[in-house]
Order: sequence, then C-alpha cells, then structure tokens
Amino acid sequence: MKRRPGISGLHSAAAARDQYRSVGENVARIRTDLLKEQLATFRTQLEEFARKHKHDIKKNPAFRAQFHEMCSKVGVDPLASNKGFWAELLGIGDFYYEIGVQIVEICLATRSHNGGLIDLNELCSMLSKKRRTSRETITSDDCLKAIDKLKCDGLSFNDFADSSTIRPMTAYLQVLGSGFEVFTVGKKKLVRSVPTELNKDHNQILELAEVRGFVLVEDVERALSWHPGRVIDALETLMKEGLVMIDDGHPDRKRRYWFPCVSLSSSNAEEL
Amino acid sequence: MGDFKFPYFFDYPPYFTLQPVQDTREKQMQLWKELILRYCQHHKCFIINLEQEFPLFQNLSIQRKLSFEAREVFLAALVAEGKAEWLDKAHKKCLVLWRSIQEWSEMILQLVRDNAMEDGVLTLDEIQSGDESRGTELAGIDRFVLVRALKLLEQRGKAAMFKGKAGDDEGVKFSAS
Repeated sequence: MKRRPGISGLHSAAAARDQYRSVGENVARIRTDLLKEQLATFRTQLEEFARKHKHDIKKNPAFRAQFHEMCSKVGVDPLASNKGFWAELLGIGDFYYEIGVQIVEICLATRSHNGGLIDLNELCSMLSKKRRTSRETITSDDCLKAIDKLKCDGLSFNDFADSSTIRPMTAYLQVLGSGFEVFTVGKKKLVRSVPTELNKDHNQILELAEVRGFVLVEDVERALSWHPGRVIDALETLMKEGLVMIDDGHPDRKRRYWFPCVSLSSSNAEEL
Repeated sequence: MGDFKFPYFFDYPPYFTLQPVQDTREKQMQLWKELILRYCQHHKCFIINLEQEFPLFQNLSIQRKLSFEAREVFLAALVAEGKAEWLDKAHKKCLVLWRSIQEWSEMILQLVRDNAMEDGVLTLDEIQSGDESRGTELAGIDRFVLVRALKLLEQRGKAAMFKGKAGDDEGVKFSAS
C-alpha cells in the first residue's frame, strides 16, 4: 500500500494495521481449530492404543520395556503422576505403585536378616514369588522404576489417599521411600532401604564378599593391602549396622564375616 | 506327620554362632526359639538334654553346630518366656512346653468328653497310648507332663488320681461333668 503523506496517510496506516490484525486473528483461529482437531484424533488413537495394549504392557516385560523406551523417545514419562493422562489411560501408575508397596514390604521383612541392604536380583525374585498368582513377570528394571517412583513420587500418593487406611500408608511410604537408594558394588546392584550410607572401605569389603558371601580378615588384608586394624574396624562397624554376621563354626576355626545382603537365598521368599 | 520343614536361617552358617551385636542376637534368639518349639511339637519331643546330642542343634550339610553356650542361651530364653522349664538345678535338662500344662489339661478334658467318660476311669498308660487318644495330640504325651496336667485338673475338682494295686498302672477318675 502506498504511503500517503499527511492526516489521511495516518488514517490509512491505522486502517491497514487493523486489517492486518484481523487477518492475523483469523489465521490464529484457523490454526487453533486445526490443532484441536489433530489433538482429538491423536487422543482417540491413543485411547485405542491403550485399550489394545494395556494387557500386553502389564503381562509382557519385553513389551513393557519397549513401551518405556518409546515414551522416553517422545519425551513422555508415563509414571510422572498417578493422576496423569497416561496413568489414567494405561493404569501403569497403579502397577508400579503396587510393586513399590511390595518392595517396601519385602525390605522391611528382611531388614533384620540383611541389615537393610538387599541384592536387587534377590529382591526381584522375592517379588516375583510374591506375585506368582498374578502371572506377571517382574524384571529388575521394573523394580528400579518402582523404587524411583517411591523416591520422588511420594507426594503424589496423597492425590488418591482419600480413605483413612491409605493415608497412613502413604505417609509411611513417603518416609521410607525417601530412604531408598540403589547402588552398585562390584558386579551387583544393591538396594538400600535404611539411611546408613557405606563409606569407601565398606564398599570395598562388600565387593570382596560378593565372591563367596563372606570374607576372612586375612582375605581383606591380602586383597586390599590393609592393616588388620583397619579391616576389623570396618567389619565391626558393618556388624553394628546389622549388615554382617560372624561365623565361628568352620572346622578351620577361622572367623568368617557373612554378608546377608550378598548371599542369594531365594528360599527367603517363603518366609514372607 | 509330614516331613519337618526347616526355615531358611537353618542353612545359613552365621546363625549357628551366638551373635555379639544385640539386635542381631535378638533376632537370632527369636528364630531359634520358634524353631525349637516347632521342632519339638512336630517330633513330640518333650525333653532336651544339654549333655546329649540333639539333632536340631546341628546342620551337617553346612558343617555347623550350636555351641553348648548357644544352646543354653536359647533354652534359657524359652524358660524366661514360660515356654520351657529346667528340670534340674544345673540347667542341663529342659522340659519344652510347646503346649502349656494348662493346654494339656484342657485337651485331656476334651478327650474325656469326646469319649463320654465324664465319670469314667482311665489309666495313665491309656491316656498316653490307648485307643481313646490315638490320632489326637495327646498320643505319646510325656508321663511327667501328663501327671502335671492331671494335677491341675485335680485342683479344679475335675479329676482324682489314684495308685493302682501293686503292678498296676496309676489311674485317674474323672468327674468332669
């Protein structure tokens, strides 16, 4: 549009701006409508996906793992909130919540035996035994996700804690959940459900213990080149924390220090 | 009677050594106390003699056995709980009461009712191993325990023991109605 000088020029500039604005609004409106339509289609397809695959996701761990991978590629976290879109659609949140609760139960039940430290694989196998009636396979990956959820999601449990029985449980889980930590020692992943942290000396001894489930003082001295005093110190601390038990019954009369957290004894599950 | 099922801790060597750390020791004692009671009930074993071998206190498959001290500690814990009694001052013989004397006396009354013997007479032997007690928990009851239970019933006026003629067994007359 040609610019014209003077007052009339100003008027037409204003008129032009108005016209531009209304065209702009129109375009925006059209774009929004398009988006709404796309979103509606997307949602319907998602619902169908969920209907078709909800069962598979729960029953098949390989499928479940692929589903998680797909979600993370798209930038979606299906576990982000129990009340979220995904959670409602797929009921995934409940699944992991349930596992989380059972993990807490198992850790509590075995705490007096292993001092609050448990091998991830052992935890997983106990969990599977606990859930054997539902015929769902639980992988150690599922355990890790459930523990993660326990740690950061405690607060969201309040969202559906409307019955008086659930509220104490969620408060309980919040307190316990915050204490959960998964760490690696040597070849094993251990789940810690107590606040005690292990220092470097402890971790090194733990790693040695993984081989046979126990250590002798001379083993540690030799393998780590430590003073016997340092070895005994570390072992006694671990004993006080309930992570180590002594064994003086071997025919060779040498004291063994056993670590229940690295001894695989899947028969434990039957005690729960 | 099926095979006795041993708990997980029975195969874990450290549980055969008395643990020095208080919390661990308590857990260990609790496990062993329960095991002793359950084992004795299953095998109808009433007396544990500390000066003799008792099959429960060792696990050959892991080459471990409880020391004398450990056995004493666990049995003493049962005694403190009222689930066992020392039969001698030296604390070498222990009576394991996986059922209390009271419970035994109730069972005897039940036996009497079941067999319509409210005014009847039974010898102690018959109670221990007669037809009436076959298949019940009373079968095979230790004589010493039986007499204690009957004495309790005597105090309640439900029974009266008497000595048989020379050569005959002791008997008990019931007035359990």
